[in-house]
Amino acid sequence: MNAEEKIVAKILERFPVLEGHVSIQRNQRVVVDYLVRRDFEKVLDFLAQSAGFTTFHLVIGVDNGDNLGFIYVLSNEENVLIFVKQKAPKARPNIKSICSIFPNALWHERELVDLFGAVVEELPPGPRYPLPDLWPAGNYPMRKEWNPAYLDKKTMTYRPPTAPAEGGESK
Amino acid sequence: MISGLFHILVFPGLLFLIAYSLFFSFMDRKIYARLQNRIGPHWYQPLADFLKLLGKEAIVPDHAAKKIFALLPVLSLVAITVSYLYIPTVQPQSLYPFDGDLIVILYLLAIPTVCFFLAGWYSTSVFATIGSVRALTQLFSYEVPLFMAFLAPALLADTWSLSGISAYYSAHPLYLLINLPAFLVAIVACQGKLERVPFDLSEAETELASGTFVEYSGRYYAIFRLAIDCELVVVASLIVAVFMPQQADSIVLGFLFYVIETMIVLFILALIRTIMARVRIEQMVDLCWKYLTPVALVQIILNLFLKGVL
Amino acid sequence: MNQRITIPIGPQHPSLKEPGCFTITLEGEKVVGAVVGVGYNHRGLEKACEARTYVQNMYLIERVCGICSHTHSTAFCQAVEELAGVQISRRAAYIRVIMAELERLHSHLLWLGVAGHEIGFDTLLMYSWRDRERVLDTLALLGGNRVNYGINTIGGVRRDIDKEESHEIRRMLDFIEEEDKYYIDLTLHDSTLAARLGGIGKLDHEDALRLGAVGPVARASSVASDVRVVENYAAYNEFPMEIVTDDHSDVFGRAVVRVKEIMESIKLIRFGLDNLPEGELKVNVPRRIPEGEVLSRTEAPRGEDIHYVRSNGTDKPDRVRVRAASEANWHSVAHMLEGDYLADVPIIIAAIDPCYSCTDRAIVLDHRDTGHQHILDWEALRRYSVDFYREKGFDPQRIKFRERKIIR
Repeated sequence: MNAEEKIVAKILERFPVLEGHVSIQRNQRVVVDYLVRRDFEKVLDFLAQSAGFTTFHLVIGVDNGDNLGFIYVLSNEENVLIFVKQKAPKARPNIKSICSIFPNALWHERELVDLFGAVVEELPPGPRYPLPDLWPAGNYPMRKEWNPAYLDKKTMTYRPPTAPAEGGESK
Repeated sequence: MISGLFHILVFPGLLFLIAYSLFFSFMDRKIYARLQNRIGPHWYQPLADFLKLLGKEAIVPDHAAKKIFALLPVLSLVAITVSYLYIPTVQPQSLYPFDGDLIVILYLLAIPTVCFFLAGWYSTSVFATIGSVRALTQLFSYEVPLFMAFLAPALLADTWSLSGISAYYSAHPLYLLINLPAFLVAIVACQGKLERVPFDLSEAETELASGTFVEYSGRYYAIFRLAIDCELVVVASLIVAVFMPQQADSIVLGFLFYVIETMIVLFILALIRTIMARVRIEQMVDLCWKYLTPVALVQIILNLFLKGVL
Repeated sequence: MNQRITIPIGPQHPSLKEPGCFTITLEGEKVVGAVVGVGYNHRGLEKACEARTYVQNMYLIERVCGICSHTHSTAFCQAVEELAGVQISRRAAYIRVIMAELERLHSHLLWLGVAGHEIGFDTLLMYSWRDRERVLDTLALLGGNRVNYGINTIGGVRRDIDKEESHEIRRMLDFIEEEDKYYIDLTLHDSTLAARLGGIGKLDHEDALRLGAVGPVARASSVASDVRVVENYAAYNEFPMEIVTDDHSDVFGRAVVRVKEIMESIKLIRFGLDNLPEGELKVNVPRRIPEGEVLSRTEAPRGEDIHYVRSNGTDKPDRVRVRAASEANWHSVAHMLEGDYLADVPIIIAAIDPCYSCTDRAIVLDHRDTGHQHILDWEALRRYSVDFYREKGFDPQRIKFRERKIIR
C-alpha cells in the first residue's frame, strides 16, 4: 500500500459516506470530489488536524455553471497533494474562511471575493485584492458569463449589449 | 581692495571653488565608476547636471515655509564658501588668517548640516522628516570625533590658527606621522559629515527616496548639489591643511601640491564609498562613540604628552 | 519617542522595482506594523487564457514574469502534456532543465545586485549585473531573446542546443563559476554585508512552515523543500540534485542560499550538457485536449510555481490558475518586517526576491499594428544599440571585462 492509498483509506475510514468520491489521480495527487459546505468543513478540519496535511498551497476558484467550485490544495510531509473541493450555488456563494487554520490562505480568499464574487465569512479585514478600487461593484470577471469586451475602461462601467446602459455617459 | 575682491571672488575664492568642486565631483564619480568596472561620466557631466537642474521647474510644496525653503540652499552654499576663505590652499598661509580660525571653520561647516535638517523639516514630507531627523542624529555622532581629530594636531602645533598649524607641519613634516590615528578618524568622520556611503543615511535613496531633499527640485536642488560638491572640496582641503605638508616655495608648486594631496584624500573617500554598504543609524552612532571618539581621545592625550617632551 | 508615523513605501518608490504598496507604521525608526498591498499589476491573465488556444496560451504564460518565464511555461506545458497523455523526449526534457538552470543563474545574480543596491552597496550591483550580462547573452544565443526565450512548446522544445552553443555555455559557466566563488567568499566574510544582512527579517523554521514560505526563503529557514526533488519533473530525476539549505533564518541566510545555488546550477548545467541524450525535440500533441484537470508544479528561482489547468475537450482551456512563488512568500513579509528598523525594510522586502507581476499575473498589452514590420536579427540589434550609444558619446564596446583564465 503506497502513500496515496493509505491516505484514501484513512479518509474513508473516518468518512464512510465518501466511498467512491475519493480517487487517486496519479502519483502524488489525491482528489476529493465536490462537497457542500458542511461536509467540506469537516473533511478539511480532519485533513488539517489529524491527517497531517499541514501545508496549504492554493485555492482555485472555478465556474461550474450553476455552482462555483473552490479547490483547496493541501500537502503533507510525504509531498502528496490533495485536492479538496467545495461547491456553492452562484446565487448564494457563501463559504467559510480557512484563515484560522492556514493563515496564508488570506490573499487567495480575497481573490475569490474579487474575481468570483464568493462571500467568504470570517475573512480578516484588509485591502481588496487584486482588482482596483474603482472596479464596478457586482462584476466578477472570472465568472464565465462576464466578458471583458463589454467593460468600458474609460468610465469603468460594464455594459453587456442587451442590458440597459448604467452609470454615466462614456466619453 | 581690488586684489582682495579678486581673491574672494575668483582665486582662490568663489569661482575657483566652484570650478574645482565640479572637477572634484567628476573625479569622484569617475573613480567610483572605474572601481566598479564602469566607464564613468564625461568631464563636463557635473556641470551639465548643474545647468540642467537650473533649467528645471522648481516646485515648492504647498505646506512648506516658502521663504526658508528657498533660502536654505543659498545659506549652506554661503557657509561653505566663506569657510573656504580661511583654509590654506596654494600656500601654507590662508587669505585672512587669525588665531582660532580652525574653530570657526568647523562651526561654519556645521551650518550646511543644520540647513539639510531644516530643509527636510520644512518640506513637511514624511520621508524628508525622517531624513532630517537622521541628519541631526548623525551630526551629533560624528561631530565630536571630528572636532577632536582636528584639535589634536592643533595641540601639538600649539596654535589655533590653521595657517599656523599648516606652517608648523610644513616645517616638521615627520611630526605628521604622530597624527596618523587622528587622520583616520577625521577621514571616517568626514565621510559622515559629507553624507556619503556608508553614512548617507539622511539621503538613503532606497529607504527614504533621497530623504531630506525629496521635495527639492530645479534651481533650489541645483544649489544644494553645488553646496554638497563644494563641501567635498572644503573638507578635503581642510584635511590636507591639517594632516599633510604643504609647499611654500612657489605658487605653482604649492598649487600642484594642493591638487595632488586633495586628490589623494578624494581617492580614499571614494574608495570607502565603493567598498562599503550603507550602515544603519544605530550602527553609525555605535561606530562614532565606541571607536572613533576613544581613538581621538587617545590621540589628544598623546599629543599633550608629546608637546611636553618635544 | 512614542509618536507613531505611518509612511507609505510605494506604489512608487526607488527601492521597489515594480509597484507594490507597503504601509509601514514606525515608532522612531522601529517598524511596529506593516500592511502589504499589491494588485497594481493585475491585468487578467487567467481570464485571457480562457479565450485563447493552448498554443497561444503558451506564449501568454511565458509573459507572466520576465525573470522566471521559462519555469512558468514549463509548468504550463507539463500540465497540458499530462492532460493530453503525451511523454516528451528525454532530449527535450534535458534542454528544459538546462534552460531552467540558466534562468536560475541569471535570476540569482540579479537578486544579488538588487540586494546590494538596497543596502547602498552599489559596487555589488555593478559587479553582479556585469556578470549576469554574460548569462543573458548566452540565453539570447540559445533562445533568441534575453528574457522570454520561447524555448518551450507543448510536446517538447523548439530549439536544439548544438555543439557550438554547448561550447559557448561552458565558457560562460567557467567565467560565472570563478565569479561566484568570489561572491560566496564576499557574502560569507564581508563585514558590512554581515552587519547589514545578519539578524534582520527573521523567519524561523516553524513560521516558515506555517506561513507557507517557498524557495530560497524557506530553504534559508532550513526547510528542505525543493520541487525539483519532490516532483522530479522534466529530467530532474536523472540529475544529481543537492538541496542547499541554511539555518540563519534571516536575510543573510537567504543570500547564502542563493549564492550557493548558483554553484549547484552550474553543476547541473554541466551535467546536462555532458549527458545530453539524442532524440526528437518535439512530439505531436493534438489540438483538442481531452477533458480533465491537472496541477503541475515547478521550481522557479524564487520558489514553487503552481499551474492548474482544466480542459473541456476543446482547443481552449476551461480554467487556468497560476500561483507564482512570490505570491506564496508575501505572507511571510509582514511577519518579517515587524520589529526591524526602517532602514532594513527595503532589503527585507527584496530578500524574498519579489516579483509583482508574477503575483498579479500580468497580461501583454494590446499591440497596435502600425503596418511597419521591421525584423532585426541579434547582431543587427546589437549593432544598433552600440551605434545608438556611440552617437550619444560613449562606446559600450570599450568596457573591458576582467577576463580570467578559462580552464577548458
